[in-house]
Amino acid sequence: MIKRLLIANRGEIALRVIGACRELGIESIAICSEPDRNARHALAADRAVAVGPAAPSESYLNAETILNVVRSSGADAVHPGYGFLSENADFAARCEQAGVVFVGPPASVIRQMGSKIQARHLMQAAGVPVVPGETPTGQSDDGVATALKRVGFPALVKAAAGGGGKGMRRVLSADDAAEAIRAARREALASFGDGTLYVERLLERPRHIEVQVFGDALGSIVHLFERDCSVQRRHQKVIEESPAPSIGPRLRDRLLSTAVRAANAAAYRNAGTVEFLVEQGAGSTDDGPFFFLEMNTRLQVEHPVTEQVTGRDLVLAQLLVASGQSLPWLQDQILARGHAIEARVYAEDPANDFLPQVGRVLLYREPTMPGVRIDSGIAEGDDVSVHYDPLLAKVIATAETRELALARIAAALRSYPILGIRTNVAFLLRVIESDSFRAGNVDTSFLDTQGAWLAQDETADIPGHVRAALRAHEDASGSPAVPDPWARSGSWRP
Amino acid sequence: MTPVFKTIRIRPGTYRVQMDGKYETVYVTGPRRDRWAYWNGQVFRVNEGAADPGPGRTHRSEGSQSLAAPMPATVVKVLVAPGAPVRGGDTLVVLEAMKMELPIRATGDGTVKAVHCREGELVQPDSVLVELL
Repeated sequence: MIKRLLIANRGEIALRVIGACRELGIESIAICSEPDRNARHALAADRAVAVGPAAPSESYLNAETILNVVRSSGADAVHPGYGFLSENADFAARCEQAGVVFVGPPASVIRQMGSKIQARHLMQAAGVPVVPGETPTGQSDDGVATALKRVGFPALVKAAAGGGGKGMRRVLSADDAAEAIRAARREALASFGDGTLYVERLLERPRHIEVQVFGDALGSIVHLFERDCSVQRRHQKVIEESPAPSIGPRLRDRLLSTAVRAANAAAYRNAGTVEFLVEQGAGSTDDGPFFFLEMNTRLQVEHPVTEQVTGRDLVLAQLLVASGQSLPWLQDQILARGHAIEARVYAEDPANDFLPQVGRVLLYREPTMPGVRIDSGIAEGDDVSVHYDPLLAKVIATAETRELALARIAAALRSYPILGIRTNVAFLLRVIESDSFRAGNVDTSFLDTQGAWLAQDETADIPGHVRAALRAHEDASGSPAVPDPWARSGSWRP
Repeated sequence: MTPVFKTIRIRPGTYRVQMDGKYETVYVTGPRRDRWAYWNGQVFRVNEGAADPGPGRTHRSEGSQSLAAPMPATVVKVLVAPGAPVRGGDTLVVLEAMKMELPIRATGDGTVKAVHCREGELVQPDSVLVELL
């Protein structure tokens, strides 16, 4: 069993892993950048080691320094979380070479699935349907443009090494091709250090449905049902839920069994996700075609919805399986009950083109109510910096039915004050309460087509009772002789 | 009749406001020049930038516009040169921050008067990127 785990991440996911360590009696070692020394994850771990300045390339992405900390701290395992080094095959390989357990699949699997091109070939060979597309052999801008014409419009141009929507552009016609190729190449080089592009047909109004899979060193592979992540903005997921609403049992069975086939083909180990695009069938919810999109070789941001409906702890299982134990569950022991939905709270301004926001969190109160789980990484007084992902927290609501889960997550968002920095909380509420989302069959174009009115700034009119509270606050903090309570971080009393 | 609000402070920054016998919880914080309030999932901001203009604003004066960086960012693309005509909504500069590309767009029709940034440059909040006439 793992004894001392280094968590190579920050924020809510680092806290999630630290919590699992505590349950298993594993010593946790956090790493942090200099400005993150007092961040929640650094304070929660048994030990925290500062690994460099704020810039991720010099801290959370600095494999060399992190491996040195692994050695000097005597850690016998590394959990990469998501993002940062989680899908870096070289880092996983260096852990393996150093005799340290990398909590995830083998480096060879990460490398294979990390290359969209190799992953496609592998899936095609295993009989898993893939989206029509190709990797241009001539990787010049002209070569990619020619390949786009062969695939047909609308199309997508993507970074071969990509993920999370970075290095990906829609191309609606030949006229847009040149600019899209240049932008995708720029982002691909900046984000992944690899400018190789590939092109594929853009499916019309597909839903994004993914399947959680899990494998162990003995070769067992199970699925833990599906998640619907169709509510996306620029290919970043915003709301995820399980089970996927309005799909029939036949389609669900086909998705689940195809995902297990895909994971077997990849000789998969530990937690992973097989993502599919599901085309809306003509009227029927049971026989639409679907295509393999990619496999994520790590724990997903949205793993809590699966944990909530299956009652299975994925991080705990990750640590057991990484320690060489067999999966803690057999396939027929894994059942899904009720409905879970997750909303991602981002520091961004929906009324201003979703511009990421930086600043200090002046007031922060998490809702506590039955059936609501908050996975967050921030605290009052924290600075949200330009250097890291703007994800602040995930709100997960679980209930017997989808309708009740939607009511529950709305209630949670209505009692979740985050002030000092703009967030998307009001936007999330409008999405969740919109007719389209409630109907349960939105596709991935939903936010692109309806996001504009959902993002409108409704705060022009301040209701009377809010004005009354503002006046009361003015009286409480108005006199210059009285220190501003805002500057005193909550301990001040009148 | 003007409604009467009875307000009780239950902890710093947290108020119970009674209106027509019903209580609402309102959270208030922030310095006087930039007050924030939260009620029922909605955020209200008052006096924003009363003392100093907030970052990322378009400064307009006498028919000219200057477009500033909204946050610390890297300039990845400059798409216009001085003298170029632009239309409202045109992307003038592409910044990158928090791993995302941020397009800086013209807020109205005009002509580029000056460009104050270079590709690859790190720009600070409020630093002017492009001036339009």
